[in-house]
Amino acid sequence: MMQDVKINSYQFLVLVILFTIGTSILTVPSALATDAKQDAWIATIIGTGIGLLVVWLFITIAQWFPNLTYVQVIEKLFGRWIGKAFSAFFVIISLLYASELLYYFGLFLNIHMMPNTPMVVLNILMAGIVVMGVRLGLETFARTAEILIVVFFVFFFILVVCISPEMKFENIQPVYEMGTKKIVQSSIFYVIVSSVDAIVLLMIFPSFVNKMKQGKKAFFIGNLIGGIVIIIITFLCVTVLGFEKTTGEIYPSYELTKKINIGNFIQRIEGLMASLWVITLFFKTTLYFYASVLGMAQILNLKDYRPLTLPLGMIAVVLSLVIYPNIIYQQHFDKTTGNSLTLSIGLFLPLLLIVVYAIRKRTKRNEIEIKE
Amino acid sequence: MIKTIGILIIAAIIVWIEVPPLLEKKYKKELLVFSILLAIGVGLSITLFGFERSIPNPFDLLTFIFKPLNDLISLLLT
Repeated sequence: MMQDVKINSYQFLVLVILFTIGTSILTVPSALATDAKQDAWIATIIGTGIGLLVVWLFITIAQWFPNLTYVQVIEKLFGRWIGKAFSAFFVIISLLYASELLYYFGLFLNIHMMPNTPMVVLNILMAGIVVMGVRLGLETFARTAEILIVVFFVFFFILVVCISPEMKFENIQPVYEMGTKKIVQSSIFYVIVSSVDAIVLLMIFPSFVNKMKQGKKAFFIGNLIGGIVIIIITFLCVTVLGFEKTTGEIYPSYELTKKINIGNFIQRIEGLMASLWVITLFFKTTLYFYASVLGMAQILNLKDYRPLTLPLGMIAVVLSLVIYPNIIYQQHFDKTTGNSLTLSIGLFLPLLLIVVYAIRKRTKRNEIEIKE
Repeated sequence: MIKTIGILIIAAIIVWIEVPPLLEKKYKKELLVFSILLAIGVGLSITLFGFERSIPNPFDLLTFIFKPLNDLISLLLT
């Protein structure tokens, strides 16, 4: 297989940052403000902390087999058939999430930028570049990420500087009104979206990153930087818009950029925000799609994953139009089954892997002792 | 009708791009998986766009399966 592809730890760091920011940059502020109200920004800080613990769990799993991807690790630990069943579940969920992100992209552009274009056209456009990225391989889109991260941080900096005069600190007062319990509970949603989802990065982390030690560090630091970006965005949303408006909007950070007005001259630069989001969303979708395509090829023991990209892209476009009949369904789904799905592939399955690994290691040691 | 023809043309282009290199390298298993996936993709697209029928939503099934876990999580979080 294509095991000779390697990316360096800086490229991996960039991919982790873009993946962590992913969809969170537009959707997390409103989801958090619903529960934690004006303390949403504290919830993101706690969420980032818990997220680092989750990443630590992933890194422990990655360390056992430095040359295998997540799908292969599952297969190795659970045996052939049970392992294949679990990996198939993982692959299907990744594909569904890739099409979910296509839906997000299409919906966002449809609402805010191109209301007269049918959503399917936008989805096909996005799916086209995602499939292209995956076909060209991991190295290519890692290098693309290296270029686009600069664009991302320049735009982000412009955004933060321009919006900062609008901040009103009355909006976050009284600080810590909701109490620890409520804040931690609402931060769990953020942990699920940005850190537990990072399980798909185990498809590239141990096996396709050239240096293990720097790769580990990159995973942590990337998650932390992504978390800081989300903390800043949530803080700005709550201070500028106030929590009521943040809760009411689907995309509060987009509304945030509409508020920018410097001397009645620099106005309406929300296109920047949209491009920020398109960049991060593209990489999140590509990583999900890459995980599902590569995972499927590894389950079936194929020599090359490229022939699967185009048909799976076609399926993903169809799924993206089917999975969410309307936005109410989507919001309800994200709060209930979405969480359980992500938790089951991203937290319960790794924990189960750890238990199985411990048991197998112990029995193996006994066998060796018996033989001696 | 025109949508169905469009989908078939797209499928033909995909076959034209993918199949010759596979035949050249004699990757039989890859060819089989590719054909099955392409058949699923074309079938789903034609049902959705050509015949304009609705496709069962996979998330409904998943919601049904994960209902106990959902209840447990919402119990823990509220």
